[in-house]
Amino acid sequence: MLTRPEKTFTELGTKAIEQGLADPVLSSFYDCFMSAQSGEQHLRLKPFLPFLSLCSDKMPSHVPPPIFYVGSECSQRQLFGDDWASPSATAAALTTPDHDLEQASTAGYRTALLGKPYYGYARTSVTIDNNVIDIAFERLIVAVRPSIQSNYRFCAYFGVIQDFQRRL
Amino acid sequence: MPQNIQFTLGDYLPEHVQPECSEHVNLKDAVDAADLTEMWNMILTLDYSVADPEELSPERRDEFLNVMSLLLKAFDR
Repeated sequence: MLTRPEKTFTELGTKAIEQGLADPVLSSFYDCFMSAQSGEQHLRLKPFLPFLSLCSDKMPSHVPPPIFYVGSECSQRQLFGDDWASPSATAAALTTPDHDLEQASTAGYRTALLGKPYYGYARTSVTIDNNVIDIAFERLIVAVRPSIQSNYRFCAYFGVIQDFQRRL
Repeated sequence: MPQNIQFTLGDYLPEHVQPECSEHVNLKDAVDAADLTEMWNMILTLDYSVADPEELSPERRDEFLNVMSLLLKAFDR
């Protein structure tokens, strides 16, 4: 009988993308991004913006940086919904609503902010509106400077949901 | 009987005219002060393909301003 751990967060490394194991759109984003010259990487985001979420480079505690942009086709929007992705102007900084998922995702952002693109796989459960959902996803996180002179960066997150099962 | 009130054209404000939006001016000032102008310009040109939020429809402008409001919070500035 096939068994698999309920929770897995693992870095596969970007070699897995180069070997053709990643989602094709994620893979073309990676190729496009990595082939850009320094200082022009942000321009390569344009065709992929619908699939991306963007967050800051601020990690004051052991959680991923707050998000400021959620693309129309972004996996986080698919998972958490439009209302989550577009909070009111008075709301607090935007983070994903599942605390455990947030904590488990931290290492990926840290790796990206250290200058190494992060490509990983995760299988876990999230609770959304009292529904427990088992999901598996791959994700690529890269850190980008908005221009070559910038003294700050932002992270671009490309997630692809591979499996989505609502527990009965 | 309804009163017939005389007033000049300069006093007339049609109700279908939307009030001018000053929100983006305030938000742009905050973004500039936070040294995040590059992000404002990047999102505006890459995603919205305009140089000024004034060129956007009210709905798209609100959406953009919402992103900028989140930007300020995300960078904690």
